[in-house]
Amino acid sequence: MLQHKDSHRSACKSFEEDLVLYYYGDCREPESHRVEEHLKECASCRHFLEELQTFLPLTAKPKELPQAFWNSYYEELREKLAAIDARESWWKRSFAFFHPWAVPALGTALVLILALSLTLAKGMWHFKGHRAQEEIPSELRAAAGNIDFFESMDLLDSIDFLEALEDKSSANSEFQKL
Amino acid sequence: MCQRGERQAFEVLVRRYMKRAYQIAFDFTRDGEEAKDLSQEAFLRAYSQIRHFDQRSTFYTWFYRIVVNLCIDHLRRRARIPWERLDGKNQQSAGEEAMGDTSSTPDQEAIAGEVKRRLGTALGTLPGKQRTAFLLRNHHGLSITEIAKVMQTTEGTVRVHLHRAVAALRQSLAELV
Repeated sequence: MLQHKDSHRSACKSFEEDLVLYYYGDCREPESHRVEEHLKECASCRHFLEELQTFLPLTAKPKELPQAFWNSYYEELREKLAAIDARESWWKRSFAFFHPWAVPALGTALVLILALSLTLAKGMWHFKGHRAQEEIPSELRAAAGNIDFFESMDLLDSIDFLEALEDKSSANSEFQKL
Repeated sequence: MCQRGERQAFEVLVRRYMKRAYQIAFDFTRDGEEAKDLSQEAFLRAYSQIRHFDQRSTFYTWFYRIVVNLCIDHLRRRARIPWERLDGKNQQSAGEEAMGDTSSTPDQEAIAGEVKRRLGTALGTLPGKQRTAFLLRNHHGLSITEIAKVMQTTEGTVRVHLHRAVAALRQSLAELV
């Protein structure tokens, strides 16, 4: 096997890839037929294929391990899988109330609460008891407690009125003197 | 069957694929302990992600992808690939098994041992994609179609990787044969 130094010859370039696939049984028709026909007449490609058949199996021999190794491997893996399940079940227990129907229900409730909060905050909902207060302009409500101000304003109006009357009566008396 | 994450059902898959998963990891790492850790980690990931498994593909194609990606990531982190160990202690027993034909002469055995050593070294220096394509085809018997699914590439690309890998391995024997 593999003993002749001059035996390392190249296959025909156009067939080399197909020869590798042919060795592995992955060469489809019509390439497979083409390769077989070529092998009949090409010594280099025949030799290339023989080389593959000789050295490639040498790379593939698996190392046999004792059954005890596999038993230990399997048991160790089972414990690790159980640990994953234990972690997941803790998580599931924590969120056990999240049943499939609970999620949309909770979502709907949250949307309703949010909508109510927003509309109430914007004053879209009016109650009868508050209506009168809501209709008074805010500037007036701010000054509502200062009644003296309004009273003084009335007094000033009265003074103006008296002055006007006084001016009118003096004008009449001067007219009568004339 | 395992879509709901039932552990018992998954353990059936573990029993079915554990040897192959370990062997893939060993082919990449050439280290028994690392192969064990990586292959077990692949099972744990598969178990956690089983809900994401698309049933249009086969389980082992999906699972092989997890194993291979873990191995490649591991080798990247480790930044060294001790394929040289093929001629060391680990490989000696496998070499003896491979050369179990007692009719061969000492010369032939010596040549075969050298061939194996060189192949192991050359395999370790192959680019990642070529090595993956070669290992999955040569060592694990996956078809080109399956390898393309595992590597998420086209069948044509897998053929090219496989051809280049075999050519490189053969080249490593150039002085010997």
